[in-house]
Amino acid sequence: MKIAVVGKGGAGKTTTSAVLARTLGRRGARVVALDCDTNPNLGLSLGVGDSETERLLTLREEVGDGAADHAPTWEDILDRYGADAPDGVRLSVITRIENPEPG
Amino acid sequence: MNDESTTVVADLEAGIGTLTRLASASVDATVVVVEPTLRSIDVARRAVAVADEQRQGRVVVVANKVGDDEDRARIDEAFAGRRMVVVPDDPAVDTADRLGVSPVDHEPGAPAVAALESLVEALGLAS
Amino acid sequence: MSVTGSLAESASMIRVAFVGKGGAGKSTIAGTFARLLARRGQPVLALDSDPMPGLPYSLGVGVDDHPIPDDVVVAGPEGGPRWVLRPGLDAAAIVDRYAARCPDGVRYLQFGNLWGHVVRLQQAQHAWSQVVEELDRDSWHLVGDLPGGTRQAMFGWGKYADTVCVVVEPTVKSMHTARRLLTLSGARWGPSRLVLVVNKARDGSDAARVSERLGLEAAAVVPHDGTAGRADRRGAAPLDSAPGGPLAGAVDGLVDHVVSLYSLGREVTQ
Repeated sequence: MKIAVVGKGGAGKTTTSAVLARTLGRRGARVVALDCDTNPNLGLSLGVGDSETERLLTLREEVGDGAADHAPTWEDILDRYGADAPDGVRLSVITRIENPEPG
Repeated sequence: MNDESTTVVADLEAGIGTLTRLASASVDATVVVVEPTLRSIDVARRAVAVADEQRQGRVVVVANKVGDDEDRARIDEAFAGRRMVVVPDDPAVDTADRLGVSPVDHEPGAPAVAALESLVEALGLAS
Repeated sequence: MSVTGSLAESASMIRVAFVGKGGAGKSTIAGTFARLLARRGQPVLALDSDPMPGLPYSLGVGVDDHPIPDDVVVAGPEGGPRWVLRPGLDAAAIVDRYAARCPDGVRYLQFGNLWGHVVRLQQAQHAWSQVVEELDRDSWHLVGDLPGGTRQAMFGWGKYADTVCVVVEPTVKSMHTARRLLTLSGARWGPSRLVLVVNKARDGSDAARVSERLGLEAAAVVPHDGTAGRADRRGAAPLDSAPGGPLAGAVDGLVDHVVSLYSLGREVTQ
């Protein structure tokens, strides 16, 4: 099951994604919360804290700069570039910033 | 990622750029979050239209920060007949944002948190 | 983080871009800034590179659809840019014909409005970029609004600006975004002056907290204003719905501050 969450900046996308992921996790689902924003903040709303959110961003930038090895599988990526959030949710901020389009 | 037992909640970039670039039928459901401002409603209407057109699964509108009847009317007019979850304007969420913590941890029973939890049912995911 | 002031003393026209997290209040503040600067008798061109534009609301022109038509460009030369302005059309002519006329004499240039696929905007985007690049530096003060987040800043969409105004609300997310933007702007657009604006401050400690976290003094602090929020929901420009309100006052102070960074004539300072 894949769910996309969209909206204007500031509308509450990240809060909505986080509460949805944690609610599903608490009810026993295996949940991956994927932060697809070039400016990832989902960790804060999921409750992993300020410094962990920043650490994941740093890892993401290493991938973007090609400094890290290419991770072969999704499992591997989640393992290496993710963090555990409460209620069993796995957070990943891995995104390729693939094109310079304006929005 | 194609593991059927995993639920992936993807928080996309602000705006509708990512949604317009997504291959059709990439996801099973699209949650469109909107606050009752003219601009936010404008973005959300386009997101709903693109999600429908590209067959991005069940579309649920989350009407966020709804403070009064005027807000509610504005949202109802824009998204009449849509599957919708209405989330009240809630100072507990503002406080959580200011502190940088999860609203679920800050005040688990807050009205906005309770409303957002019902999104699970609106998506048809309740077991 | 370095805050540079190394611009040529001769720079007389303001070139400022507003950035920040979505919802922080960039468009509201940028539009108000443009109008208040124009009220001082200055020629102001407001630049919008948001494919979901918000600036028309705070400028007071309401309808957000003021696109540059696709036929202003033709295919570019081989090995060059994909699209270039049609022969006979230059930056000044595009502004003259297609920049919307707003209250207080502000002109407003957007590249269009994203209804469906991104590809639809490509011609207008090329035209917009070429106009911004080639526009006579002495004709207009430029006040730009970028979309929320870091993507456009990362790709240099605000590089016309030599002053970058980072708008922050006192939430941890907004400060995270601001910190990234301060780094990016310093590194990729430099030399640029960085100006911090704290929006939606509930009390004095909010501004202090943001300043401390970002290592930069706030040039303006806009108080949280419930009335402004209601007007914003209806799409009203703060200068029209609350002309003497706290937002207008704080942004006028910001105009004073930014004017003081340039060698503008004394008459511009109120």
